[in-house]
Amino acid sequence: MWDIGIQLLHSLNYILVLVLVAMGLVIIFGLMRVINMAHGEFFLLGAYTVVLTSQRGLGFWPGLVLAPVIVGLVGMVIEWAVIRHLYHRLLDSILATWGISIAIKQLIIIFFGPAGLMIKPPLPQSVHILGLVYPVYRLFIMGVSVAVIALTFYLFQRTDFGLGARAVIANRDMAAALGINTRRMNRVTFTFGSALAGLAGAVMAPLMSCDPQMGLGFFIPAFLSILVGGAGALSGVLVGGAVVGGGDSLISFLFSPVTAQIVVFSLAIVLIRIRPQGLVGGRRHE
Amino acid sequence: MILSIENLHASYGGSLILQGVDLSVRRGEIKALMGRNGMGKTTLLKAVMGLVPPRSGRIVFDGRPIHGMDTHRIAACGIGYVPQGREVFDDFTVMENLRLGVLRNPRGRRDIPPEIFDYFPILDKRRHQRAGSFSGGEQQMLAIARALAARPRLLLLDEPSEGIQPSIVDQIAATLKAISARTGLTILVVEQNVDMILELAATCAFMEGGRVVQACDVDELRADESIMACHMSV
Repeated sequence: MWDIGIQLLHSLNYILVLVLVAMGLVIIFGLMRVINMAHGEFFLLGAYTVVLTSQRGLGFWPGLVLAPVIVGLVGMVIEWAVIRHLYHRLLDSILATWGISIAIKQLIIIFFGPAGLMIKPPLPQSVHILGLVYPVYRLFIMGVSVAVIALTFYLFQRTDFGLGARAVIANRDMAAALGINTRRMNRVTFTFGSALAGLAGAVMAPLMSCDPQMGLGFFIPAFLSILVGGAGALSGVLVGGAVVGGGDSLISFLFSPVTAQIVVFSLAIVLIRIRPQGLVGGRRHE
Repeated sequence: MILSIENLHASYGGSLILQGVDLSVRRGEIKALMGRNGMGKTTLLKAVMGLVPPRSGRIVFDGRPIHGMDTHRIAACGIGYVPQGREVFDDFTVMENLRLGVLRNPRGRRDIPPEIFDYFPILDKRRHQRAGSFSGGEQQMLAIARALAARPRLLLLDEPSEGIQPSIVDQIAATLKAISARTGLTILVVEQNVDMILELAATCAFMEGGRVVQACDVDELRADESIMACHMSV
């Protein structure tokens, strides 16, 4: 009973971070029709920003603040140097971003080595909530994730910037004919999506062993979340993240991680077969 | 001349659609662009907006060459565009659609001009309704209102009567004519509906094979039915 309670909180924790990663991926895909294969490596860069500040004796917190800034800038440069030349070329953009992901991983190996690195837990205390003893740091992750997810929704659903971005997603040519600078919109959104992945990597770093392959472990479930939830509306990511993240972590706990992967993948395939537009299907202009 | 197009060539989908278009629109005039299907009328409007890149030739708006510019910059020069099929944002409300018309303005100057709702009172009543739930005629009014919200000096309209009941077509034509008379708005309208042209436009040009082959006053159309028969009958 206690174990289940803890496990539910762990699942929620995982789901929220997964949604952060998936949200960046789906914003980039929705706006630019680019499947960013390097998104997992943006997560990786976020985690290693924290590793770097910890190694240099600055501790965890400056790294947490720096990670989204640095990864956002890396995303901006990659958009400018590579992605913007590959719009409307889906396959080329997949290959190019895959190449970038390999390059980032190798750079990390060159500078930090291939081994897993641990950092000192920033908030080692635990608290009693609902009769459970739970780590404060995991509650902190949940709080940050909920705040950033809410902020992203506000940005896209309630502000002028979000209105413009949604117009570009729905009908790029018409948005441009109304005077919206679609190229700048691409750059800003790619930067923002990258920063979200960087932040997710940074908050997760103290819970994981940081190694050059860690990005993949979040990229694949994030990608599945989008397929399950649908890429048309931002809210699809919440549903997809809950189904994939919740299913994966609960089945891992009850049975085994291998069973969880088999079940989640099978479920995703069945869902995509029944509802190709995702659980929260949105229409778009082609 | 507010708009002059000289020897414009452009291709769309691999084939050369515009083959040396020459066309001028005077300030404040309402000009109709007519011709059979596939003669390049829609492509010409898209080329003016920069949505189809010109291969050669010139497009000058208000003394400033705009060919080769990005679409959003062309719009910012003061050209409003209402495309074929209207292309309102179905999932957005009326207000969101209208706000998109003024989004390019600096913050603080993003108010929707109040006269928009005088021109199209139905939009006022339905501010928070989704555009996708509207009839074709209402969507057309919204698309025109969205373009007018940015206070353009030139309005490009592509087949505004398409799929719309005749009474609404008359209403839209009368409204546009009144706006142009009051504000000096210049309108270039691609249209197949002869009644709408006779009601709305003062001058017209006919396209054939990717060129403008004849231009005349609408009064001449009324007097000489052979002009219309020559260019429009199948």
